[in-house]
Amino acid sequence: MSGSSSSQIVDSSMAEYAPLIILLPILAMPVILFLGKIFNTNPTWKNTLKEGGIIALAAMGASLFISLVIIKDYIGSFSNNGDIFSLTWLNTAVWEGGSSISSISFGFGIYIDHITVMLLFVAAFLCFLINIFAIGYMNTDPINDNRNHRFYAEFVLFCAGMLGMVLSDSFLWLFIFWEIMGLCSYLLIGFYYERPSAASAAKKAFMTTRIGDVFLMIGLVMMWDLFGSLDYNVVFDSANIAAVDSGSLQWALGMMFIGAVGKSAQFPLHVWLPDAMEGPTPVSALIHAATMVNAGLYLVARMFPFFGAESMSGELVDLAFIIASIGGITVVMAAGIAFVQDDLKKVLAYSTMSQLAYIFTGLGVALWLANTLDWHHDADAHTIVVVAFGAALFHLFNHAMAKGMLFMASGSVIHEVHHAHHHLHHDDHGHDDDFDAQSMENMGGLASKMPLTATAMLVGSASIMGLPLIGGFWSKEGIIANAWRVALEDPRFFFPAACVLVGAGMTGFYMSRMWLKTFAGKPSNEVAAHVGPTNTWIKTPLFILTFVTLSSILLAGMGFAHWAPDSEYSLLSDHGLIDGIMYELGHAFANHDTFFFILTYVAIALGAILGPFVAMSLFGGKLEDGEECKPWFRPVIKLNNWVYDKYHWDNSGIATSGLAVALQNRLYIDKYYDLAMVKIVAGFSNKVAEADTKIIDGTVKQIEDKSQKISTTVRSLTTGSARDYILWVAIGTLLIFFFIWGVA
Amino acid sequence: MSEVTYVQPFDENFTTAFCPELVLVAGLFALIIIPNLGKATFRIPGTQIRLPYFLGGERYSAFSNPRLPSWIAAITLIIAFVEVLMTFDGGLQRYMIVSELLPTTINEVNSGDVLVNGGSHILPGSSKELLLINGFSRLFEMIFFGALSLAAIASMNRLQSFDASDRSTNALYNNRRQADFYILLLTTGMGMAIVALAQDMFVLFLGLELASFSSYVLVAFHKESKEGTEGGMKYFIVGSVASGIGLYGLSMLYLWAGSLQLGELSVAFDAAMSPQGSPALPLIALGFVLVGFGFKVSAAPFHFAAPDAYAGASSPVAGILATASKAMGIVGLTRMLLIVASPESSDGSAIWLVALGILSVVTMTWGNIAALGSDNPKRMLAYSSVAHAGYMLAGLTAIGAWNWDPRLAGHGGDAAIMVMTAILFHLVVLVCFKLGAFLVLSVLESEGEVSQMSNMRGLAKREPLLAVSMFIFMISLAGVPPMSGFMSKLLVIMGIVKVAIGDMGDAISNGDLLSIGDAHWVWWLALIMVLNSAISMFYYLRVVVTMYFHEPEGTRQGPLPNGWQVRTAIFACVVASVFFGINADALIELCEMAANSLNYSWASQ
Repeated sequence: MSGSSSSQIVDSSMAEYAPLIILLPILAMPVILFLGKIFNTNPTWKNTLKEGGIIALAAMGASLFISLVIIKDYIGSFSNNGDIFSLTWLNTAVWEGGSSISSISFGFGIYIDHITVMLLFVAAFLCFLINIFAIGYMNTDPINDNRNHRFYAEFVLFCAGMLGMVLSDSFLWLFIFWEIMGLCSYLLIGFYYERPSAASAAKKAFMTTRIGDVFLMIGLVMMWDLFGSLDYNVVFDSANIAAVDSGSLQWALGMMFIGAVGKSAQFPLHVWLPDAMEGPTPVSALIHAATMVNAGLYLVARMFPFFGAESMSGELVDLAFIIASIGGITVVMAAGIAFVQDDLKKVLAYSTMSQLAYIFTGLGVALWLANTLDWHHDADAHTIVVVAFGAALFHLFNHAMAKGMLFMASGSVIHEVHHAHHHLHHDDHGHDDDFDAQSMENMGGLASKMPLTATAMLVGSASIMGLPLIGGFWSKEGIIANAWRVALEDPRFFFPAACVLVGAGMTGFYMSRMWLKTFAGKPSNEVAAHVGPTNTWIKTPLFILTFVTLSSILLAGMGFAHWAPDSEYSLLSDHGLIDGIMYELGHAFANHDTFFFILTYVAIALGAILGPFVAMSLFGGKLEDGEECKPWFRPVIKLNNWVYDKYHWDNSGIATSGLAVALQNRLYIDKYYDLAMVKIVAGFSNKVAEADTKIIDGTVKQIEDKSQKISTTVRSLTTGSARDYILWVAIGTLLIFFFIWGVA
Repeated sequence: MSEVTYVQPFDENFTTAFCPELVLVAGLFALIIIPNLGKATFRIPGTQIRLPYFLGGERYSAFSNPRLPSWIAAITLIIAFVEVLMTFDGGLQRYMIVSELLPTTINEVNSGDVLVNGGSHILPGSSKELLLINGFSRLFEMIFFGALSLAAIASMNRLQSFDASDRSTNALYNNRRQADFYILLLTTGMGMAIVALAQDMFVLFLGLELASFSSYVLVAFHKESKEGTEGGMKYFIVGSVASGIGLYGLSMLYLWAGSLQLGELSVAFDAAMSPQGSPALPLIALGFVLVGFGFKVSAAPFHFAAPDAYAGASSPVAGILATASKAMGIVGLTRMLLIVASPESSDGSAIWLVALGILSVVTMTWGNIAALGSDNPKRMLAYSSVAHAGYMLAGLTAIGAWNWDPRLAGHGGDAAIMVMTAILFHLVVLVCFKLGAFLVLSVLESEGEVSQMSNMRGLAKREPLLAVSMFIFMISLAGVPPMSGFMSKLLVIMGIVKVAIGDMGDAISNGDLLSIGDAHWVWWLALIMVLNSAISMFYYLRVVVTMYFHEPEGTRQGPLPNGWQVRTAIFACVVASVFFGINADALIELCEMAANSLNYSWASQ
């Protein structure tokens, strides 16, 4: 309980239990693993405990509960008394395991501030929901026969890695948990290791993120070199930052950013993410929404104090630009590739990539603002920074919720399509190999068959697209607006700003396309016609997340969009909920500044009107005759019918154009990576291996050979005859005399 | 340091002082009497009256268990070991056994050599110091008794291991023949204890011979094979020659100094080394004595009989030779080199420095290179123990140079203590892993000779626990962290380096030592030691490879005959090997205390 003096200790007994958030899942892992080994086929284990799923759920539930209480305390104390946070913006060090007094200490601590609270909620909440979903998904899949305990064990460790990363109080521990996640992602993506594609996807994910990790490690070493510590309390201290050379710091942060690029699958280290779909769908949801990819964002968000420090003012803008540009490139690239994907989960994967890129752009912009504006003293500048940073973090939240829901919904679709196919072709094993349950070509018209899933998917898609008033709208507008705000100041930023604006329209298209191809129109084949509704375990999280996404406006009104790591700014304190909502609405739709007013509507026009419109004109259409869908779909289906009938056009020319082919081939990036691997790395490896066998092994063999010969000679002196031994004793005696006399 | 209590033989404090040794004597008597208890009677001549006298005749069945002698010996040694351990408890009371004490009432403490026990006794001028009980000697007794008790326990299983239907080995079941073996074991312990305690070179020599003769016979006791007798014979012959040379050197010392008392010899030696002195005779004597002890620690080129003896002896006996017997030789060398010819000669380093340095290098290199090609596991271990002797000699050499440079004044003393601590630590942990390795071989011997590496093939499959134990012993011997063997080697090397360059930081910041070229040459010993350790890795790991990666030999399949005693002993060795590597503090402290009690002049430096 020894927090450093500059940090604020949250006055809460609950905060002392924060380590349990990490410990419970970690402890659950061996329990599940061993019980699973022992009681593998036991009926109680299989049916009541769901092969460990219930144990995992209990652990995750407890973690979620503690997290919620801590978050509540944090927000509560925040709103009750703003003065508590007047010290610095690093608010809390709750618990220190080692001695935090000395500057070089590796003790583990819990660090809670705004960013932690946001990520903690996202991770704990989604892990819990995905766990519920996994019970419905994994335990009904015959392919997982008797090995789900392995899944749940790895699952809880993965969650523990994310929770630990978010809560830990130093970059060192961040890195440790970061690596735990890397390991678990490898294990889980390769869960169906008997499939070569899964095994290689696991390897690809691991290796690609490793590249980033190496840079992260270099960055951390550089940071250690600069600060002599990796504890947040030390490195975020403004006095310490002031003592550091800004150029060196920029290099360190840049190296760390490459780590984030790898983890969050940004260009050019994005290649692993689509392949990671080889894992079971709950794993996809976990990676894309709750844990892995958010880790990179979290790392960049953690860099805020460096950018925000007064002593660094204007020194780190280049890195901010790089962060925003990487985001900008990825927004457009990933959205483009998503245009042509037929695999349901792959569309979502590229959408994740694209949306994360939004957040990176948002963070880059916010960091630029923090780095250039005098926000410590100027109240207006302060608001701008807070809003920019808050928009990025709030988009993280919205995206996580929506994407978690989308993945679970897509999992439910795939699950049911697979079941239907299994059911139809029960005796006919030949079909099994050709049928792809994930391909949207095999779906269509499912809106009437899986109403809840279709609703969830619709709401999730709307949130990602930024349809006004729903979920991601609130944050995405902020990101775009701030990107342009910076672009007006620093012309370099026109590039990312243009990218995010174009990206909004592209998002509108590919998300609509996905929904329409899956749920609207006529069933594309016999299988899709026989899909039935899904089970309760799968429905529950979908329902909850739909609600959360729809109620995003409430959260925005509560100030979630201003979720800045800043002690000056408080939630709920200066205006009530209704005021907040009105403020957000006014801010979004009736901006005083003409430029932003126009910008908002341009973005809405692109993302919510143009994109969906094009998609509707190409895909979807009438449902099968006699199929009735729920009343709340009818407008959507009808609108689709109308657009489809009226504006349908033949896009085969575009679909077969060079660009489309290139997009289908993921812009050949993977291909060139593979080529580089085969040509350069493998060639180099072969040479090294050759050198190893010839030179090193050869030398060792020679040494061994020669020394054996010497050994034989030496041993032959041991003749076995006592006479000779005594002779040697005599020789030795003489030698001793010689040396003693020589000295004396 | 507490005061030394002076004790005359058989006076009031004698039993307190000599508790462990007296236990050993009692055990000896028990071993002689108990297996012989029988219905022997004596007919009074001219009458029909038969008086029972219990020794001999038809033995009582209760005492004819062939395991009985081993239990007696083992329990005796364990009790002695525990007694020694207990003397450390709550501060060691130190005793000096002297030949004569005069009762007196003078209540004053004289300065110098004469100490007073409670003001009631005083030494007359003609009194001789015989035995000294202090940390150093107690630590060695601990090593001796510990090793012997482990060997005694392990030897129990040698009985059942052979097929009882075989008439030639059936004789082994006879408990009186067993008694012989364990009597020799106890006399070995007795002799070693005397060596550890002796304050007079002659007493030391007596103990040495008692232990040596017993061990010669113990080696030859391995009658299941021809090599046993042959090895014992060779060991005896070469050992006798070495002892003869050593005794010759001692007689010269006596001729020269008129006494073999350590204290008096030391004073005389210092005088002889002074510019006015004439060092010829003591130097010749020193050389001879070095040969005598050199054989005991199996330093090259006096080691030749050792591989034959180790290979011929039964494994527990070989283990004793490699550990306890070696420690005994180190005691002799320490007494001779560090007390008598103590390294305080004019130039600050010992007269024997070069000789011992070369001896150590030759020994460790020879041992390691010879072990490289050895296909017989016991011979390999024998050569490895030669190499280990070289490491310890290197440490002793470094102590010889401990005050080589006035610039290092203030650090040299620490360094000498450190090296001595390291050597003592090494001797203690050597019992764990060297003896342990021999005990594993002992289990293997229960299915026939172990004369080839291939006999150990596939041990990991047959006996996973034994293989793991052997693995731990091997990497400990090789000095892999976190095993105790690593710790001991590290301490020795650190000590040597510290002797050579002093306290690195200090010396460099003072500008005294700018490069390694300025350091004393004993630094090279540390380097050679490291290189030798690297070589040794090869043959130690070859054992592991044989155990883990080769299939078992044709007739040697399945688990080995069970014997919980020897396995318990092995387990104890494993635990100690690992424990002292991870948590060595207590033991190092003990060794440091022992090293401090060896020579006060270092500590005061």
